[in-house]
Amino acid sequence: MPEHTNHGIECHEFDSLLADAIDGILSGAELDRFQAHARTCSACGPLLAEAKAGRNWLKGLSEVNPPANLINNILASTTGIDSQRLRNNVPTPQRTSLWERMQAWVSGVVQPVFAQTWASVRQPRFAMSFGMAFFSISVALSVLGVKPADLSHVSLRPAAIRHTYYNTQARVVRYYENIRFVYEVESRVRELKRNVEPVQPAPNEAAPEKKEHKDDTTQQPEQKQERNYSQTENHLVLASARLGPSVNDAFRKNDPSVVLVSTYRRFV
Amino acid sequence: MEDVQVIAMLVRRCVAGDAGAWEEIVQTYNRRIYNICYRFAGSANDAEDLTQEVFIKMYRTLSSYDASKGAFVTWVTTITRNLLVDHFRKTKQDRLTDSIDAPVSAQEDAQPLSEQIHDQSAPPDAHVRSREAGETVHAALGKLSPELREAVILRDLQDLDYREIATVLKVPEGTVKSRINRGRAELARLLQRTYRQVM
Ligand SMILES: [Zn+2]
Repeated sequence: MPEHTNHGIECHEFDSLLADAIDGILSGAELDRFQAHARTCSACGPLLAEAKAGRNWLKGLSEVNPPANLINNILASTTGIDSQRLRNNVPTPQRTSLWERMQAWVSGVVQPVFAQTWASVRQPRFAMSFGMAFFSISVALSVLGVKPADLSHVSLRPAAIRHTYYNTQARVVRYYENIRFVYEVESRVRELKRNVEPVQPAPNEAAPEKKEHKDDTTQQPEQKQERNYSQTENHLVLASARLGPSVNDAFRKNDPSVVLVSTYRRFV
Repeated sequence: MEDVQVIAMLVRRCVAGDAGAWEEIVQTYNRRIYNICYRFAGSANDAEDLTQEVFIKMYRTLSSYDASKGAFVTWVTTITRNLLVDHFRKTKQDRLTDSIDAPVSAQEDAQPLSEQIHDQSAPPDAHVRSREAGETVHAALGKLSPELREAVILRDLQDLDYREIATVLKVPEGTVKSRINRGRAELARLLQRTYRQVM
């Protein structure tokens, strides 16, 4: 940069004033001298224009949003257990049994479909409620004289379950209207119903599937396997997930208190 | 920009083992740190890793923060900047082995900006409104030398004052101003060149 001494300031002074000038904090005689130098100096004039332009470009850049999981990852890597890393360390193929791999696969298929339901189902609190609800119902039904045999033909279709639920509730209410126990059952069942609701959206596709199974049990294992591999068909996954043993087994594995659930399944 | 007493209290609580206080610090500063890292390192992946590293470092050294010696944001920015320097040194070798010209011209050719650049006297702010232009500026920023890049990021993107930047970079204020001037001018020249090419 050539050194000029015209109009009272030199190029190096111009440089030291440039930032302040762009910030707009130069004033009076200093500003006049600065501007005069910018007009006459062939090096500093363009520098002023470029610095201004560069600042404008930068000011036009907007803030970017950090990834959604950033905070969680930070907290995990500082205060908590890094679940991601733990998970990465676990799966060594030699050590996992076929059963474990199947479980992993099933949960991989089931989880995206059930996401919400599955998360709540895995909570011990819900598992207890789940068990309690059916225990209560089974007590109520046996008190009412309903035998398991009567229920053997009851369909598992969501609509049918709903129907059975309302019928049962009506009967229970008739007999035990004033007893607090009813309210207990009611609230448990309502909670269950809320949690089961997301499973219901595909009754049309799922129902015939289920019937077929009932009629032709010899082919059941084979069919089930086929469905497991057709991961792209959402409703098939839904159907198999609802009927399959995976949920039950996962239950039993995770929480001993959920044995009641499988009891219920046999019961119905 | 920060309430000194609030931050000092937050840090004290955190050092005493209050996880909630730490979470508040993370909530407050993650965006700022991520943006510095993103603009300096260039890629979102690097920025994410670096931001995590910054917080791990912060978490370990939080007890060494002395409120009487400067603002917390300056301390945080210094940690960030030091990790960025390390990162730059580590990746320098990789970048040297890359082709210097090919990626640059490919990137520049990819910017569909021709219609925006006929009137060079128009304020650049107008151009930057488009996402493509933002990406061009971001790419140009990546071509500045690290000294100039960090200076303009801290000044024009993070709005730190010259004194704070001087503290972070450990250079005199005059040097900070000079780097900011050169960084801004160099960026404008790079972008001007990009637009001429497209024209
Ligand atoms: Zn000059």
